[in-house]
Amino acid sequence: MNLDSKGKGIPFKFYAAYYPPTYTRIKANNIKELLEGISKVDKLSIFYHIFHPILSSHVVPEDLPNDFAFWLRDSLHDEDLAEIIADIQGGEPLTIEDIRQELIQLMAKGFTDRKGDYPFIFISCKPVIYPLGLEVTTLSEFLDAIGNVPARSIFYHFVYKRVIGESKTNELSNWLEENFGLIELGEKLSAIDPQTYTDEEKFRNDIVEMLEDELL
Amino acid sequence: MIEKYEKIIGEDELYAIYKVAERLKDFSILHINSTKAGGGVAEILNRMVPLMKDLGLNVDWKVIRGEEDFFKVTKSFHNSLQNGVGVLPEKAFETYDKWQAINASEVPLDYDIIMIHDPQPLGLIDFKKKGKWIFRCHIDISNPYPPVWDFLKKRISKYNAMVISAPAFARDDVDIPQFLIPPSIDPLSVKNKPLKEITVRRILHKYGINDDKPLVVQVSRFDYAKDPVGAIKAFKEARKHLGKLQLAYVGSPASDDPEGQEVYEKTVKEAENDRDIYLLMLPPYSDLEINAFQTGASVVMQKSIKEGFGLTVSEAMWKGKVVIGGRTGGIPLQIIHGITGYLVNSIEGAAHYIIHTIKNADQANEIGERARIHVKNNFLITRHMTQYMETMLYVTERTMPEELRKSQA
Repeated sequence: MNLDSKGKGIPFKFYAAYYPPTYTRIKANNIKELLEGISKVDKLSIFYHIFHPILSSHVVPEDLPNDFAFWLRDSLHDEDLAEIIADIQGGEPLTIEDIRQELIQLMAKGFTDRKGDYPFIFISCKPVIYPLGLEVTTLSEFLDAIGNVPARSIFYHFVYKRVIGESKTNELSNWLEENFGLIELGEKLSAIDPQTYTDEEKFRNDIVEMLEDELL
Repeated sequence: MIEKYEKIIGEDELYAIYKVAERLKDFSILHINSTKAGGGVAEILNRMVPLMKDLGLNVDWKVIRGEEDFFKVTKSFHNSLQNGVGVLPEKAFETYDKWQAINASEVPLDYDIIMIHDPQPLGLIDFKKKGKWIFRCHIDISNPYPPVWDFLKKRISKYNAMVISAPAFARDDVDIPQFLIPPSIDPLSVKNKPLKEITVRRILHKYGINDDKPLVVQVSRFDYAKDPVGAIKAFKEARKHLGKLQLAYVGSPASDDPEGQEVYEKTVKEAENDRDIYLLMLPPYSDLEINAFQTGASVVMQKSIKEGFGLTVSEAMWKGKVVIGGRTGGIPLQIIHGITGYLVNSIEGAAHYIIHTIKNADQANEIGERARIHVKNNFLITRHMTQYMETMLYVTERTMPEELRKSQA
């Protein structure tokens, strides 16, 4: 593979985003209310609770990578359901709406009237996107960039754009496939399920390792 | 000035702050509050406004004025919003409106973005000339006195967005977007900058603290909400298991709290002249001393039963301490139980985690390190300022770079 090739000449522009949280006015004290909340909150709220914990600013226990799982264990003391929700699928081609439906189905199985120690408060967010001022055209530049850009930039291109429905697959795979015809590598990257991460650098490392294995 | 923070937050974060600020550069921005000095809001603005200017923003800060009648009313509003009970001066609402009109005639309101801090200048919205208005509410309004709340709510509904410190303080009867932006600490301030060991030892020595015994510290006013009696009981219980242990309750006089003296007397009684318990009453602005106590602590408690945001928790976490905090107000945002500290609901729980922390130094160090990182990511003034700018981008519909807006259109 010629790492200095520019492929079809399509550049990749790096952006990153902040996700400032907002109050949704929806709370849940038990599973029934949690289900109702999941059914009606906007997609950015599901995104926030399921995927935002990858970022280092959003702390959850390492074994429970999303807010719902954490609340089920910490407040409702339902260890079994917490483990099930912790392992919910978040990879491609799932969108937020797919994940919402799966959450509803899985939680319906653990239906109890038990009240949590404290409520689950649904948070949404209003993404603020900013450019990194970095544009790459070759695989060499791309590899360097993936290793060096802020993790929230990788999160934006790999997770946010896809799960929110603005891109069918993650944007890294898109570019590798469209610009270089690297279908197999794109598909391998697409198999990474971001929902399983609670550490943005581990998430980056797995992507870097995969790129390195295939390209170097 | 902003560059001084780079060594703390890193190059990427500083770059992001510049990029977020860049899209606000063609706006005029005004912060309005009711005091230039004293209190958390003025403290934050005194540091944040110069930082925003340093980023190239066209930002001003104005303080409204009033006479005794106005501030009596706003004090009564403040108390009635926080505790749900109202004792208002006669003609309170008329007095409030009168001073809004006076200030509206004196404070220029022709800015593109105006951020109003707390209820004192909230009513200026009635005199809006242009631009986008954001109401930044620093106090807990989750259980307000209804007549005062209804009076203020009518004005809040005219704003473009509202900012609150924690979900626990949010309102279900407000329709405008409610952004969740915690307050912050300044890592470069006297209260939070790293201290040399000799300074810590010198200050603890001054107050008679024994450096041979582990030290539990709680920094709080003598106030029922901070549960000083519970803190002492938890300390006594933990000492039974640890043998050597001492407690410093680092308080300050609450001059505006009629219960302050009563709480202090009860706390003294609970301390029973115990030679391991130090009840300290530090004068205002004892920032260096507070820093020394937090830095010198083996474990920090914030055993509140009711709390605002509880920024003393972040102050101690920033110093790498394990904090044992009550599950109330903003404390659960700072302490993720078992990860960045411990949350407790009882005296027994607090005692348990004092013992656990002191007996397990390695684990305490790990939690302390995670606590420091959590504060770095979420509770520093740079993050606070960025989130204000993000809210400004939201109300001005500039959350996306222009090239992306164009491509999506």
